[in-house]
Amino acid sequence: MTDEKKNEVEEEGRRNFLANFLYVGGILAALGGFTAGLLRFIIPEKKPPKMQEILVAHFNEIEIGDAKPMEVAGQKVFVVHLKEGYRVLSAICTHLGCLVQWQKENQRFYCPCHKGKYRPDGTVISGPPPRPLESFRVEVKNGLVYVWMKQKYTGGLV
Amino acid sequence: MSVLKKEWWMERVPLDYEKAMGIVRDAFIKEPIPVHMKKWYYAMGATPLILFLLQVTTGLLLTFYFIPSPDMAYESVRHIQQDVPLGFWIRGLHRWGANLMIITVFLHMIRVFFTRAYRKPREINWILGTLLLGTTLTMGFTGYSLTYNQLSYWATTVGTNLVNQLPLIGHWLLRFMRGGEEVSANTLTRFFVLHELFVPSILFLLIVGHIFMIHLHGVAELEGHEGEGYYAFYPDHFVKGVYITLFLLVLMSTLAILIPPGIGIHADPTQTPMHIKPEWYFYSIYGLLKLVPLWLGVYLVLAFLIVLVFWPFIDDWFRAKWPKAPIGYVLGSATAVLALVFTIMELVAK
Amino acid sequence: MAKGDGAKYLVGIFAILFLATLVIVAGIETKKSESTKPEIELTGKSKQCVACHEKKGIAVKQIEQWKDSKHAEYGIGCIECHAAKKGDFDAFTCPGSDILVGRYPTPKDCGVCHEKQVKEFANSKHAHQFWLLHNDDRAVYEFPMAVKHGCEQCHRIGTMWPDSSVGDCSACHARHSFKIAQARNPKTCGECHLGPDHPQIEIYEESKHGNIWAAEGKNWNMGYETANHEKIPIKAPVCTTCHMDGSPTQPMTHNVSARLAWESQAPWSYRTVWDEKDLGTWQKKRERMKEICFNCHAPDFINEYFLEMDLVNLQYNEIRRQFVYWNKKLYKEKLMYPWKTGEKLWTSPVLDGYDQLPERKKYYTWHHEGRRFRFGAEMMGADFTQWHGIWEIQQDFIEMLNWAADHGDAEAKVWQKSNNPTKMITFKLYDVPGNEWGINTELNKPNFVYKMFPDYWTRIKSNVEAAYNKGLLTKDQWDLWLKRYNKKEYYMGTKFPEHPKWKFYKARDQKDLKHMKKSVIDLNLPGQSFYKDMH
Repeated sequence: MTDEKKNEVEEEGRRNFLANFLYVGGILAALGGFTAGLLRFIIPEKKPPKMQEILVAHFNEIEIGDAKPMEVAGQKVFVVHLKEGYRVLSAICTHLGCLVQWQKENQRFYCPCHKGKYRPDGTVISGPPPRPLESFRVEVKNGLVYVWMKQKYTGGLV
Repeated sequence: MSVLKKEWWMERVPLDYEKAMGIVRDAFIKEPIPVHMKKWYYAMGATPLILFLLQVTTGLLLTFYFIPSPDMAYESVRHIQQDVPLGFWIRGLHRWGANLMIITVFLHMIRVFFTRAYRKPREINWILGTLLLGTTLTMGFTGYSLTYNQLSYWATTVGTNLVNQLPLIGHWLLRFMRGGEEVSANTLTRFFVLHELFVPSILFLLIVGHIFMIHLHGVAELEGHEGEGYYAFYPDHFVKGVYITLFLLVLMSTLAILIPPGIGIHADPTQTPMHIKPEWYFYSIYGLLKLVPLWLGVYLVLAFLIVLVFWPFIDDWFRAKWPKAPIGYVLGSATAVLALVFTIMELVAK
Repeated sequence: MAKGDGAKYLVGIFAILFLATLVIVAGIETKKSESTKPEIELTGKSKQCVACHEKKGIAVKQIEQWKDSKHAEYGIGCIECHAAKKGDFDAFTCPGSDILVGRYPTPKDCGVCHEKQVKEFANSKHAHQFWLLHNDDRAVYEFPMAVKHGCEQCHRIGTMWPDSSVGDCSACHARHSFKIAQARNPKTCGECHLGPDHPQIEIYEESKHGNIWAAEGKNWNMGYETANHEKIPIKAPVCTTCHMDGSPTQPMTHNVSARLAWESQAPWSYRTVWDEKDLGTWQKKRERMKEICFNCHAPDFINEYFLEMDLVNLQYNEIRRQFVYWNKKLYKEKLMYPWKTGEKLWTSPVLDGYDQLPERKKYYTWHHEGRRFRFGAEMMGADFTQWHGIWEIQQDFIEMLNWAADHGDAEAKVWQKSNNPTKMITFKLYDVPGNEWGINTELNKPNFVYKMFPDYWTRIKSNVEAAYNKGLLTKDQWDLWLKRYNKKEYYMGTKFPEHPKWKFYKARDQKDLKHMKKSVIDLNLPGQSFYKDMH
């Protein structure tokens, strides 16, 4: 490239406020809108979870003082029949996520990974678990035991 | 000294800022652009570049949701299209961006061909350009195969079969592309890597090379109109890029809304649909291959590609032999028309 | 404009255009409908059932139907209904598995969850197999092979299962989707409530209710709930609206007998005493039905309608009385012979055999035209009250009397020889001044009974009063009848001057008749009939 050519480059024109405003504002707005769109695409929405009732047991199907393991809405749970009523507890130990076992003879949930022990109502007896087992809302209607779970959507890849 | 002060940074990043700014000024801001470039059909070079950047952006975003496994690929695409907020927009931008990029690459190539911008000393840039064309088409092909619907699955099968026909390297290339003898889960993963990483990197390097060559030589002048005037790259030519970007975004968003890309039917390896067709940019080759035996067709295409790649040298040879005959124009027009005719024929064919 | 300004304006305009596009894109995003159909999960034994059935390709459509049902949403799968214990009457081990299943989920199984509905249903007439009461007699006309796909298919709704339950829930709620919308469709009721002897679906389709359903029903969402006194959401009633569904003032019930005040399918129309312990008296049942009518209709219209409908039922009884009288007489005169096995009379007083004409006529006048006569009046199917009803009843009467006369009965001979129109109303009459459709000034003038018998209304009044005193009409009904009686000239339209158009129509009529006579009746063709040649 020669110096001649460089000298022939034209100069910028006079300033014009409206033009500048449209220009700068327009580009900023377009950029902002575009970025907002991209962010909305990429950041998943927080939708309030829809709850769904699912049948887990018939009355008298589980004896008092017994628990039935089940998988409901993709979650492993235990349906426990206490004297006071039914509980549905998550089977996932609150320590480091292993699955607990139900020991009917000992009337407790036992986690084999680090020997955590829970009472039938999910509270911790001993061992490393920091919290009781997660509990789900139970409803007994017409002699049937239902648990309220978050609905899974068809085709949901979330 | 505080981190807010320029000197703090200059001590730690000891660039020669004056020299750097000087290079930027000369190379970009003051780069002289010949006045003929003000016409809009000369913008067909910058357009694919802008589209490439948009494709990288939207493609990257799509990767956040796409799952490259035969079980989940189709469903993840459907998920993006129907469930993800603004998914239909991003996917639409990406799909239409791909189509537009290929169209504008063709238009750019045609413009360069007919203005003979490839003439000495810019022959190497032409070769880089043909490689860019091939790479862009490869991006289209690999991207389209990722949706895993009937058309894409069988297009992959047919496309890789075609590759098989190449002499010497054909079968090895087929096994490489498919990740085996058959189209399988390996194929999808490979095409995913090709489309996301391997081919875009090549494309990027070729683009850098292409632009660098332009910078080295300067923008080619129009034959017979040398020295008629120049204007600065920035802001006068650069602003064209801004127009184009905004215009493309509007156009592609509108297309994404009015003609959204479909999802098709889920791939069924046990059943070939009645009418498989490749993407429209392969129609001309597809049409040709339907007319002649496969081996002949492949050799014809190969021959055409060789002529295309080395065209500047071939053109020089023609001009030396027959100075008055406009062989280049005739051949170029004939090719363009034929390709158009084949494309339209395939488009309307049942 | 200075140099470079054009560029800036252009950029600004394009940017605004792009922003506008973004707004449109966001708008489309907001309007996208979210798919919220919850995923159907298969767990435990049901998962096993479905996997095996799908592999073997047995009843796979039923699995699809189930997936569409509310049961599936709640996680109620195959084993919940088809579970069986060892010793159950229908228990068997599903081939290729170790699962014990019951072939027939009975109301006992449904009742585990749907206790209320099963209990209500078990108390209703649907769960009562009337036709079994006269099984022996039935079997003469309808031998075993004929009944299986005939009577038994509809009357299976009252199946008496070995496990002590009664009924068949899937008769209305087709398995395995058990959709309320499908059960509510009149055509479901019409699967059984149709035909010459109880054409409810045909009557409904003739009625205005059915007409509105035919015109607009396809747009109605029929899957609604009425268990919690919801408002009736549809514009015209379907069968369940009046007979089962709830309303803001009525509970939903599976007991179809809860709102019916008459036994108008019976040989004689009588006020029902069905399950008075749970359902109350017939007056209570009538009140329930009226509560549903009140959702759309005015009280006056409802009361007038029911009064006239009740009088039709009572009138039927008087007609029946004639047929019974004649049949009894003909047996006594030994002009007819009842069926016997040995010395024992075969038939029941109801069925009496069908091979002799008066017996047949008596049966048809009850079971077919008599029912249509009554049902048509009850559900607004005029054609069924008239041409399929009373018209055919009168034909039956004529044939019966002629048969009796031809076979030697003296009284019948007198009838046969009579040329007085009253021979067509040998039975006692009910009546009510006017009708519920309005005041027609010319309708009641020509009727011959009104003209022939000056004490007509006195006699009618005494009959209606007797029915009221016997408890067959409520006090409100009697008061309503009296109101009409006391203003009979008004309701019959006779108090009004002749309608200005009456003479005009009459003249038109005469013109028509004259023309008919002149143009076709008085046409004597020249080409002689060939019979004349031979005879």
